[in-house]
Amino acid sequence: QNFAFNDVAINGNQRVADGTILTFAGIARGEQVTAGSVNDASQRIRESGLFSEVNVRTQGNTLVIDVVEFPTVNRVNIEGNSQVRDAQLLSVVRSEPRRVYTPTQAEADTAAITEVYASLGRINAVVTPRIIPLSDNRVDLVFEVVESGLTEVERIAFVGNRNFSESRLRRVLETKQAGILRQVITRDTFAADRVAVDRRVLTDFYQSRGYADFQVQNVDVALTRERDAYLMTFNVQEGQQFKFGNISVSSAIPEADAEVFRAALKTRPGAVYTPVSLESDISRLELLATRMGINFLQVEPRITRDDRNLQLNVEFALVRGERIFVERIDIEGNSTTLDRVIRNQFRVVEGDPFNPREVRESAERIRALGFFQNAAVNAREGSGPNQVIVDVDVEEGPTGSLSFGANYNTDVGLGLLASYGQDNFLGRGQSLDVQVSTAETNRVLSLSFSEPNFLGRDLRAGFAMNYGTTDNENANFDTESFTLRPSLNFPVSDNGRLSTYYSFNYEDLTDVSTTVSEIIQEEAERGAVSTNSVGYTYSFDSRRAGIDPVTSYVFRFGQEFGVGDSNFVKTTALAAVETQVLSEEVTLRATIEGGSLDYADNDSRVTDRYFLGSRLMRGFDAGGIGPRDADTGDALGGNKYAVARLEAEFPLGLPEEYGVSGGLFLDHGSVWDVGNTYSADVLYNDFTARTVVGATIFWTTPIGPLRFNFTEALDAQDEDETKSFDVTISTSF
Amino acid sequence: CGVFATEPPVDLETLSAQQIFAMGEMELEQGKADEAAITFGEIERLYPYSGFAQRALIMQAFSYHKNEDYPNSRASAQRYIDFYPVEEDAAYAHYLLALSYYDQIDDIGRDQGLTFQALQALRIVIEKYPGTEYASAAIPKFDLAFSHLAAKEMEIGRYYLKRNNYAAAVNRFRIVVEDFQTTPHTAEALHRLVESYLSLGLTAEAQTAGAILGHNYQSTEWYQDSYALLTGQGLEMRSEGDNWLSSIYRQVLLGEWL
Amino acid sequence: CTPITRNHGFIPLPEDLSALTIGVDTRDSVIAAVGPATSGGVLGENTLYYVASKFEHFGPFEPTEVDRQVVAMSFNAGGTLSNVERFTLQDGRVVTLSRRVTDDGIADVTVISQLLGSFGQINAGQFLGESGSSTDGI
Repeated sequence: QNFAFNDVAINGNQRVADGTILTFAGIARGEQVTAGSVNDASQRIRESGLFSEVNVRTQGNTLVIDVVEFPTVNRVNIEGNSQVRDAQLLSVVRSEPRRVYTPTQAEADTAAITEVYASLGRINAVVTPRIIPLSDNRVDLVFEVVESGLTEVERIAFVGNRNFSESRLRRVLETKQAGILRQVITRDTFAADRVAVDRRVLTDFYQSRGYADFQVQNVDVALTRERDAYLMTFNVQEGQQFKFGNISVSSAIPEADAEVFRAALKTRPGAVYTPVSLESDISRLELLATRMGINFLQVEPRITRDDRNLQLNVEFALVRGERIFVERIDIEGNSTTLDRVIRNQFRVVEGDPFNPREVRESAERIRALGFFQNAAVNAREGSGPNQVIVDVDVEEGPTGSLSFGANYNTDVGLGLLASYGQDNFLGRGQSLDVQVSTAETNRVLSLSFSEPNFLGRDLRAGFAMNYGTTDNENANFDTESFTLRPSLNFPVSDNGRLSTYYSFNYEDLTDVSTTVSEIIQEEAERGAVSTNSVGYTYSFDSRRAGIDPVTSYVFRFGQEFGVGDSNFVKTTALAAVETQVLSEEVTLRATIEGGSLDYADNDSRVTDRYFLGSRLMRGFDAGGIGPRDADTGDALGGNKYAVARLEAEFPLGLPEEYGVSGGLFLDHGSVWDVGNTYSADVLYNDFTARTVVGATIFWTTPIGPLRFNFTEALDAQDEDETKSFDVTISTSF
Repeated sequence: CGVFATEPPVDLETLSAQQIFAMGEMELEQGKADEAAITFGEIERLYPYSGFAQRALIMQAFSYHKNEDYPNSRASAQRYIDFYPVEEDAAYAHYLLALSYYDQIDDIGRDQGLTFQALQALRIVIEKYPGTEYASAAIPKFDLAFSHLAAKEMEIGRYYLKRNNYAAAVNRFRIVVEDFQTTPHTAEALHRLVESYLSLGLTAEAQTAGAILGHNYQSTEWYQDSYALLTGQGLEMRSEGDNWLSSIYRQVLLGEWL
Repeated sequence: CTPITRNHGFIPLPEDLSALTIGVDTRDSVIAAVGPATSGGVLGENTLYYVASKFEHFGPFEPTEVDRQVVAMSFNAGGTLSNVERFTLQDGRVVTLSRRVTDDGIADVTVISQLLGSFGQINAGQFLGESGSSTDGI
């Protein structure tokens, strides 16, 4: 039966207004009401989550709604936790001050806190929620925690490993066996998701050594009765080691000639089978296809097993892939950087065929800009079945630095230092650096500006201006110099870039102390010298088109020609190769670098010559190596230098979070030939090589990667000034 | 002037809801919007059931907004909408929520995620509370945000046009013509279509675009440009010297890269 | 230094094109056979344009479009394929773009706030007295 009512009585509500409850109920006055709709109304009010009890009934022609409101939470806090900070626990709790308290939510929060403790290995921790009632139907919510000891993985065992020892396999796993450093190492606690990572890491380890059929049968994890230790056992089935059989390329696409693609392969028959070399060959073929303008070419490796002589024959089939196009490129999150600066990093244009490798490379280029904390580029379904929308989501990072400083020197007085740097000036990707220093000993005014996409092209236009004077007491001479240097830098091939520049340089040597070397005195006689020069530097970097992620090599060759009255040629060259070995944990790097300054008529001056600073050769003080005046002992610098550096970097076994790794290096080289020796007696003017060995501690700090070098000169000359410790920024080549 | 929630100096536990409310309003008049926001927040915590709690919540949202602390203003407005969906300030809460996105929209070259959110929030205000002063204030803001979205499409269209990727440019300008007719950008979009189709050699399409431009936007400068292009005279270079140096100055320093 | 070539857009392969028959194929059967169009006409429905162009980037100079193929497919009122035309680079006209931009009335973030915004990047170079990054960025 149904009845209409013309009056509503709502009681029990304090905070929530009558009107609000009525909207939840969804019954208007005078509306025909059945028992069912009354029931629905109370259900809807209950679903609002604001009330602990809801009861709707009819009395004559009035609808009566009785409610009891949930209390609101005044404060949430956690007591009894010492191993884990409040902030970390509160982050998983969803009950909030000023919001409604519900028992179900409090239960969910308790479970969440227990889960946090379990993930840290404290599986016996107990958490109980408690309510402290306050006036006005408010409550304080307190979570009481009883923490427990750590339950760590005491032993990791392997069954079925014939070719590799247990200790070697343990080094591969992410989960570590609790050892003496158990307090420091966090990865010896048991985490269920880490087991999955371990299974994959173990499979990768075996497969990259040719064991194509390797399988982790199961991983059984036993907990001791006292619940204080885990025992893990990995049952593995290694299978046989396979080698590559014959390798061929077949093409189902008319314009893709199989022979051309076959020549691009790097994997050799007879080599040990590894999925990695297969992957990089596929990337090589795909890159070749893009370069030849063949669209939608897909490489499908077809592997046939030859179990008798343990060989895998690989056929790379070139087939026509799905025809998918990029419909739009949408960029979001760029609150400072302009859209075009990011869009410039794409070589794909809207409407082009969709090429996943190209989109990945564009994402790399966007990250390499250095403007963003993170940049995610992914493709999602477009408006049509074979259309894709590329979404770019960036989060801006700090790109500017502003620093002021003042130094006071008793005899010289106050000096101010100000520097403003911005890598993303006005969001246009331009970089601007200004430095001013008014200290008596060195006054500097320097400005550098560069526009990466000059006139909308991939053409970096740079401009640098630098004015500086130095006159401190213990120096042999004072200098005043001014340089002006506009430059253009553009790509000349996939991996090569050419930089061309004009340079104006004004240099003046003044009030030379009488006790200084005769050569420097002669050079100072010429007073102020201004030189104009033009130059180029060609740089080849294999990481730009980046196929081989493991080994990369860089080659740089540059020449600067003096024009007008100062004709000289300054040639510099550098070649370096870097590779990663021992499953990409150890980095080896070899660099050879040299420079030569050749003057046609007049001679070089001490400010032009090379001094082999610690960035080129470690282990010596500034000017501690190279030609030296025999009587006065002043370093004179050299017109020529050549250095070879061999380095190795490896982890020290400390957890990654500390960001500390170690290294060894050997530097071998010299700087020589002071040019015109006038009549002075010069020591070490010829090429006498010095060798330095050293150890390094790398530490990545928030302000940048630092390296602490401890050096030992093996065969330095007796007048050289060596040093055994130095801190520098660790720069890659 | 950080908005950190330290305990306000005076212990508010002793004051009544009304006294705290008056304190909040006084702080607002003195321009200390961030402190006012905290004070209003205290009322809601100490006296959640007083009549003031509801008004304090909307005042808190307003204070955060005045202090340009948009995330907090959004959170308070959202809480008001959850608790008091029907009360008379709900419209104002929705409006404040929309403003918190709208006031952050900036140059077309930059992030457009906010414009979308602003449009959605403004649409709720207009559709759910027609006839209120907030709806009438929201309509012009909706149109501006909508035209801002169109400007973004145009910016990307011009980007591709300048780099001779005519097909990509045409697609962007067509979206403006089809989806954004009510914005002031349609005229320029049609002219850019004329430029793109002519560059591709599709003169028939260029004439269609020119005809639509002539029919609807006869009085605009865009129509004169298109007319010149279509009748073959071509656009003569601007008189004030578009030599090599001035184009570098314009593009590198002023950032007008077209 | 050799020019770097870049290909954009897509035109149907000759064998797919020859498979189409005038008067029979509809807009959907063409898209199914050949792939979605790169671009369309102003009034949308009755035209499909496929555009493929080849650009050459040579050192510091402006990238030049060295080849462009346009395949234009038009459909009659009945929706069947009525005409397939081909255009090349020569048919295109060199158009000087108008530099006027419709102003949309929302003020850009002020230059000052951009200049002083986004600070916090400290690089170790300043402390160790090494100069900032070199400008010509070899």
